[in-house]
Parts: sequence; structure tokens; C-alpha cells
Amino acid sequence: MTTDDTRLTGADARAWLLAYADRVRRDVDELTDLDRRAGDGDFGWNIATALDRARPTLTDIPDTALPPDAFRAASDAHLGAGGTSGPLFGLWFGRLAQGPGEPWSGPALAHAFQSAVQAVCRLGNTDVGQKTMVDAMVPAVKALEAEPLAPAWRGAVARAARAAADGAEATRDMLARRGRASYVGEHARGVVDPGALAVAWFFQAAADTRAAA
Amino acid sequence: MSRYVLNDRDTFVRQAVEGLEAAHPGLVRMHDDPLFVTRRVPARGKVALVSGGGSGHEPLHTGLVGTGMLDAAVPGAVFTSPTALQVREAAQAVDTGAGVVMIVKNYTGDVLNFRIAAELLEDRHRVEVVIVDDDLATTSEDESAPGRRGTAAVLAVEKICGAVAETGAPADRVRDLGREVVARSATLGLALEACTNPMTGTRSFDLGPDQIEFGVGIHGERGIGTRASGTAAELVESLVRPLVEHLGLRRGDEVLAIVNGLGATHSLELGVVLREVRRSLAGSGIAPARSLSGSFVTSLDMRGFSVTLTALTEDLIELWDAPVRTPALTW
Repeated sequence: MTTDDTRLTGADARAWLLAYADRVRRDVDELTDLDRRAGDGDFGWNIATALDRARPTLTDIPDTALPPDAFRAASDAHLGAGGTSGPLFGLWFGRLAQGPGEPWSGPALAHAFQSAVQAVCRLGNTDVGQKTMVDAMVPAVKALEAEPLAPAWRGAVARAARAAADGAEATRDMLARRGRASYVGEHARGVVDPGALAVAWFFQAAADTRAAA
Repeated sequence: MSRYVLNDRDTFVRQAVEGLEAAHPGLVRMHDDPLFVTRRVPARGKVALVSGGGSGHEPLHTGLVGTGMLDAAVPGAVFTSPTALQVREAAQAVDTGAGVVMIVKNYTGDVLNFRIAAELLEDRHRVEVVIVDDDLATTSEDESAPGRRGTAAVLAVEKICGAVAETGAPADRVRDLGREVVARSATLGLALEACTNPMTGTRSFDLGPDQIEFGVGIHGERGIGTRASGTAAELVESLVRPLVEHLGLRRGDEVLAIVNGLGATHSLELGVVLREVRRSLAGSGIAPARSLSGSFVTSLDMRGFSVTLTALTEDLIELWDAPVRTPALTW
């Protein structure tokens, strides 16, 4: 094992995902409320339940594990969820779980997230500007790719968190053309997309692990 | 309000699958957590066929697992897609190296979950997907619409793909043949009475005693119009004529005719329906080279039926005739 803390280890990914699970559990009502106004209200419950399901598996992941091990646990839990967003998050984490079997540098991380968001766009049949989770995922990837030579993963993810938060906020004024919110049309204007917000929380959660460490 | 025989709603599907396994212990095996059904004796050295969808359509798909048909079936909750996790685990369990062909009825949730499972399997498995969209009532010009629903033609697709897979055909051949059967098939259904959802106890719509709902699917939704009922011959004619026209069938063509009960239609009725389908086809000079009648792709306890026509070739007839041994279909 490397002690090089510029690269994301399995233990880092484990802590990151557990911090994300904590954040979603703490603020699930906010996701539910957003989804009630723009969808059918089951998003928060689906995601929080999936992350609760992942928690024991994540906790059992040893310190010597690699990033794919942690992302696989998150993927499996989301793939077992109902609705549309749950399986798409499962796909996103599932593609991360197919990333390199060694600690990830900043550029490796950028590459893994790029591949993951491409799969979500393709199978979700969506792209940026349609008031979905990819409105936070795509800007995050762009931020990760912005400094390809910067090796430290934490700096890259902190930039991605800011970009994802901005991307989520930008969904407020969008008219949904995909997903459940498209059925309510103008009624969802002024409401942040809960999927995009969850993505922003995910990237933010990495910073929370440093604060805790 | 009609009632269902069940213990509790959360275990309804799982307990029904336990019963299926108990009734056919030599044919199928239930896998728990996540739930799926495989053949009791796994087939080696052939492409694995995996299908599935919401429950409430039994004997589809769990009753079609066995020699000459599916290798695995993945049941979701009632009228709800199985999860991508169920699909992935089932496919992994039955792929013996020759790859997997997934047969998926065209519903947004089913397509999404099967495609996600396929995508995540692709780094270690060869996976092909066949989408079944045979329901003529949901034809739409709108390109952003989800497209036609998948209904009873899935039975023909599973039978014919199953037969060709048993011959050792490669995955792309099985996929192409599945798509060919889809392209050669069309289905229309009608209901005399809606179904009741066992989760809510509510009936999905009401019809007068002299009315039928034309163009229904298999989820209790309304069709494309409420019409006056009629004799079996009249009702059948209203279904067969658009099918013949859509498929461009001509005098001398050979078809497979599937008369499918939607759940609570008696065998006596289905027998009369098949008789009328054959008479109707014969009137146009079309030969019903193969026929099947029974309740295979049901919509819970709906009273009604669908008619599926598949334009046949000599190859397709041979594959349809090939031996099959499953809980719901055997010859």
C-alpha cells in the first residue's frame, strides 16, 4: 500500500461514501421535498434506503481495499433500488467500480468519472440542460479534468464539488425535458433537481472526510 | 372489489415463485436475494436467454424457464420492473461463456434496468438485448414517445430464440432472430372487464355490460377506445383485420396465431376465439400454419384476450416446432 496521500485509496473512497450516506440520511427530507414539488416524491427515500443498504458492506471493506471495492458496494445498493434515479446512480457507481485496481491519482479519477457520466447520459437518454442529475455530474467531471497534471485527488474533488453545486443550482431555472419532472413542466421551474443536488452532496462529502480526519 | 388469495402483499411474488419451484422441482430453481429463477439443470455451452419484467403476467416469464426456452427469468413486484441488480445477478448466474441474450418487453423501467445491467456486465460478458414492441394499439408517430408496448409476441420471441440457442447458435444470431420475430409480429387485445390491483384493491376502469375496451395492454390501463361488444366472430375480426394490414400479409402467407387469455378468460372462450381467428385468416387466404391458445401473458385477473400474428418462414416454423419443456409450455 502506498502512503502517498495524493492518491485516492479504497479507505478514502470508503470514508467518502460513508460521509455521503450520512449526509443523505441527515438531509433526506430536503430531497423528498424537492422531489414532491418536481416529481413523485420517492427519490429521497430510494436513495437514502440504497445508501443505508450499502453502509454495512462499506463498513466491512478493509483498509487495504481499492477504490473499485467501495464504489461496487454503492453501485449494488443503488442497482437494487426502484424508480429511475436509483438504477442510474447504480450505473454511475458501477462504472466507477470498473476503474483502475490501484489507488487513483487526480487524472485517473477524472477519467473514471468521465466514463461514468457518459454511461448515465447514454442510458438515461439525457444530457446537460434537461434538469437531471447529469447537470451536476458533467460540470464536476469538467472540473476534475481542468488540471490534468495536478496529481492530488482532494484538490480535484474540492473543485468538482464547487462545480457540481453550481450545476445543481443551475437546474433551478431549467424546464425538465427528461425524467419525472418533465410531466409537471413549468411547475418544476424554481425547484432544484434533487438528483443533481445529491450529486453535489456526494462531491462535497469528500471534503467532509478531511474535516473529520 | 375482487379479492386475491395471498398472505401479505410484500411476499406475494416471492411466495408464488416458491410455489412454482415446488410444482416443477425438476425444471426450475428459485434464487433468493435478489430473486430470480433459473433452470434446475444449467445448460452448458449455449447462449443464455434471460427475460423478466413486472409480476402479474404469469405464467410469463418464470413459467417459461426450461429446456428450449429461457435460462433465467427475473420477476419484479406486481406491474413493476425488476431491479438492475436482479437482472445482473441472474445473467451472471446463467452465462457459461457463450454470452447472454436479454429479451425485454418495451416499457421504460424494464428497458432501463435491463440495459443498465447489460452495460455493467459488458466488461466480462457478451450481452445482447432484444426489445419486444408488438402492441399495435400503442403505435405512435411521436419520436420522443416510449414506442409500442411489449405484449404477447414475447412468447414467440422467447420460444424461437430459445430453440435456436439450443442449437448452439452464437449470441448475435440469437439476437438477430429475436429482432426478426419482433419485426414479423403484431398484437392487439381487448378487455371485457378490467383487472384489480392486488396492492390497492382497486379496479383500473369500469365497463358497461355491453361494452369492451379495445386496444388494452397488460397493465390494466385503458385501451384506445370503449366500444360496443359483439359476438366472438365480430370481436376477433376487429383485432385480426388491423394485424393483417399492419403486417402486410397476403394470400398464401403462413402465420403463427397466438390467442392469449389476459388472466380470467375461460378456456372455452379462448377455444372459440382461436376458431374465429383461423376462420378470419382463412377468409383472407392466409394459412395459420401454427396456432396456440391459452393464458400466457396475463394482466392479473383481467377478462379479455389478445391475438398475436407472426409471419412465418420455414426456418421459424422449424424453430417453433422444436422441443420445449417448461412449466407453462411443453411439447
